Amino acid sequence: MQPLAEIVFGGLFQGSLYAMMGVGLALVWTTIGVFNFAHGALMMLGAYLAWTLTAAGLPLALALPAAILLMGGAGWLLQAGVVRPLIGRPNLVLAVVITTLAAGSLVENGVLQAFGPRSKQLPPLVEGSMTIGPIGVSLHQLAIILATPVVLLALWLFLTRTRLGLALRAVAQNEDSAQLVGLNVAALYGLAFALSASLAGLAGIFIGGYRFMSPAMGGDPLLKALIVVVFGGISSISGPIFAAYLIGFLEAFSNYAFGLYWTPAILFAVLISTLMVRPEGLFAPRMGKLA
Amino acid sequence: MSAPLEIEDLVAGYGRVTVLHGLSMTAGTSGNVGLFGPNGHGKTTLLRAMSGLVRPSAGRIRFFGEDVTHLSPQAIVGRGLIHVPQGNRLFPDLSIAECLALGAWTRRARAVEDENRERAAAIFPRLAERWRQPVRTLSGGERQMVSIATGLMGAPRLLVLDEPTLGLSPRLKEELAEAVRAVSAAGVPLVIVDEDVELLLGLAKHLFLVNHGTIGAEIRPGETIGHDAIMAMYFGH
Amino acid sequence: MSALATRAAQVGSPPRTPGRMPATVEAIAFAAGFAFLACLPLLVGGSYGRHVLIMAFLYAVIASNWDLSLGYGGIFNFAHLALFGIGVYAYALLTKLVGIEPWTALVLSGFIATAAAVLVTVPILRLKGIFIILVTFGFAQLVMQVILSQSELTGGTQGIVRIPGLTLGDHSMIRDNKFAYFYLALGLLALSTAALRIIVRSRLGAAIVALRDNEDYAVARGLSVARLRLFTMASSAFFTGAAGAFYAAYQRNASIDVFGMSLSTVILSMVLLGGTGTIYGAILASFLLTLFSEAMADFGAWRPMIVAVLIVGVMLAYPAGLAGLVKAAAGHAGRLVRST
Repeated sequence: MQPLAEIVFGGLFQGSLYAMMGVGLALVWTTIGVFNFAHGALMMLGAYLAWTLTAAGLPLALALPAAILLMGGAGWLLQAGVVRPLIGRPNLVLAVVITTLAAGSLVENGVLQAFGPRSKQLPPLVEGSMTIGPIGVSLHQLAIILATPVVLLALWLFLTRTRLGLALRAVAQNEDSAQLVGLNVAALYGLAFALSASLAGLAGIFIGGYRFMSPAMGGDPLLKALIVVVFGGISSISGPIFAAYLIGFLEAFSNYAFGLYWTPAILFAVLISTLMVRPEGLFAPRMGKLA
Repeated sequence: MSAPLEIEDLVAGYGRVTVLHGLSMTAGTSGNVGLFGPNGHGKTTLLRAMSGLVRPSAGRIRFFGEDVTHLSPQAIVGRGLIHVPQGNRLFPDLSIAECLALGAWTRRARAVEDENRERAAAIFPRLAERWRQPVRTLSGGERQMVSIATGLMGAPRLLVLDEPTLGLSPRLKEELAEAVRAVSAAGVPLVIVDEDVELLLGLAKHLFLVNHGTIGAEIRPGETIGHDAIMAMYFGH
Repeated sequence: MSALATRAAQVGSPPRTPGRMPATVEAIAFAAGFAFLACLPLLVGGSYGRHVLIMAFLYAVIASNWDLSLGYGGIFNFAHLALFGIGVYAYALLTKLVGIEPWTALVLSGFIATAAAVLVTVPILRLKGIFIILVTFGFAQLVMQVILSQSELTGGTQGIVRIPGLTLGDHSMIRDNKFAYFYLALGLLALSTAALRIIVRSRLGAAIVALRDNEDYAVARGLSVARLRLFTMASSAFFTGAAGAFYAAYQRNASIDVFGMSLSTVILSMVLLGGTGTIYGAILASFLLTLFSEAMADFGAWRPMIVAVLIVGVMLAYPAGLAGLVKAAAGHAGRLVRST
């Protein structure tokens, strides 16, 4: 009973973080058709921004929304600086991989310069812990598990129930037609990046609340987000969300059954075999569907 | 009042390939305008330059007297020049209702959104039956209807239709031609490109032959011209 | 003589090998270029100068081999640096744990990297574009995770130190101010470049490019995607792995840093800045970027940031890389000449 409860809790927790990261990546891929390899660095930046604000005396309840807003701006800037000028180039995907990698390295080294290599930690969302059935859980982790579906639901409602969300989905499907109904494609690209960076920042704040932060902390979550997005199919938002929780459970199970060291290999093996059977991803619908 | 559309010495193309070599025309002062001419001679490029999708390298485009040559597509749509492109894929995963809502994206169009939606539904009764269906599931003819209806939602002061009946069966072609006539009858001035000469002659009194990236011939309102004469223009004299 | 034969005699027989420059001309230019590089120690004094050049040669080997899979093959292979890292660790483990003689270990490391390339190619045989990036990127991370987790063999995050260096009879490689390593690195680059150029100028090279540019057509003409992809990836791996082994022998330590994103980014930018699909472009860009990075050494911790800004700047300004810049300049010069 206890191992099962731990696997379920661990899976839900990891799945939440992966969903938060993966959805941001997928949002940018579906609207612009590029992969943002600075996504991990953005996550780290979000955590450091929130840390700076709390260190300046702001309570987390204020620092969190402020950091997320700032991250929106950072995402917009990233898009305007290293993605937008490349749109229309024949080697767009590869060029954006390199410019976002470089931008990520810039952010990482910048944070290292500004904050030094010493580890930092954010206050948890909620202090304390409690027991659920056979296991003890921290309230911070529980809060993440509960908050993530709310955030994802809000995103889904935004994309499907608002005019702006409708416009974002339209740009993803046909750029020419989007321009011909009067949509500002550049602004919508910026918005996609801003939203994506905000989600990454939120994930960073989640992670910074229970694990030490370092400038290189974005590397592993980026990798997991990539796996989640490939696994779920890169052309939708819902696919990666399902995949995130699935991978979360798989990881929790594998950690329990095979140990920490073998988990990356097992995840990779699962990824490869999925791709060999379904190259378009496990939950992939048709191309270019955003919600 | 200045003409709806004045084009002077327009030069445009893609990369190093120039398609339009100094094209000039004045149109829209006397009803609908028809464009015809062989494929690959610049009709679509001309329309894409008008709507801002292609940046002209020289020349002027004026819309009701205002210079729109270097405006963004967004700004041009905002002024009421609406271009319905050829073989429009539209937004495959959006429903008809969503496409029409997007059609009324600009501030000008949003003010008259409900009115235009009713008008579109009246002209295309077929669409009203499938309001919530994604565009991807529609037939080619139906998709063309959604395309034109989406254009109508933009509150056009000039509606530009690129080959609205391309690739349709004769029966659907007739249905669509009927709809285009209804759009025109509702008071929307058209610029229409089509290879169906009968359709053009029925809709427009002012015709231009686009040939080798310029205007090869102009048939002014009042000049009568038969089908055969037009065919002769297509294939050279 | 028939008119046709006369005409053929005037035009000359068509070149047998694809590529613009005749093989003999390229061979002469190649020899001259490497002769110049061999004379560089005369111009650049000091063992530090030679160290910088050794690193530039190694980067050039890695980047130009990456150009084979990425530029010519169009395979978005992000596991290339992992192949280099595999070479580093293979050499370290073979010499230190198994006790194999260094030169044999260097060659074996090349073969081990080749085997790893085959391994990572199998799952991407049917994949396209972005999926290849993701799988190969995942493979690279996996290799790193395995090395980290097997810390009793690999030293984990500590790495491996005191790896045996290369030997040349009784010659002291350590006290010769890096002269021997300089010429060995140059030799490695020369061998690797010659092999790459021979491949890309061959019929097989033409097939690789054909597959990249129009897969459906190439397949319809009887080319095998799987076989060509395997060949491309495997042949880009041997010298990359050997360069890794060389690096381990030269530095005498192995660290997990070779799997880091920053090295990948820098080398990838060498390939892209050089202009993909030229081999020489990647080599030239490796020299320039290494020298630039050295010139920035005084900036210390700011250096990676300056390099990152430079990479973005060049990517935005010259989409076709430095090769595109050179071509554009040549075209411009050509027009000037013609117009006068």
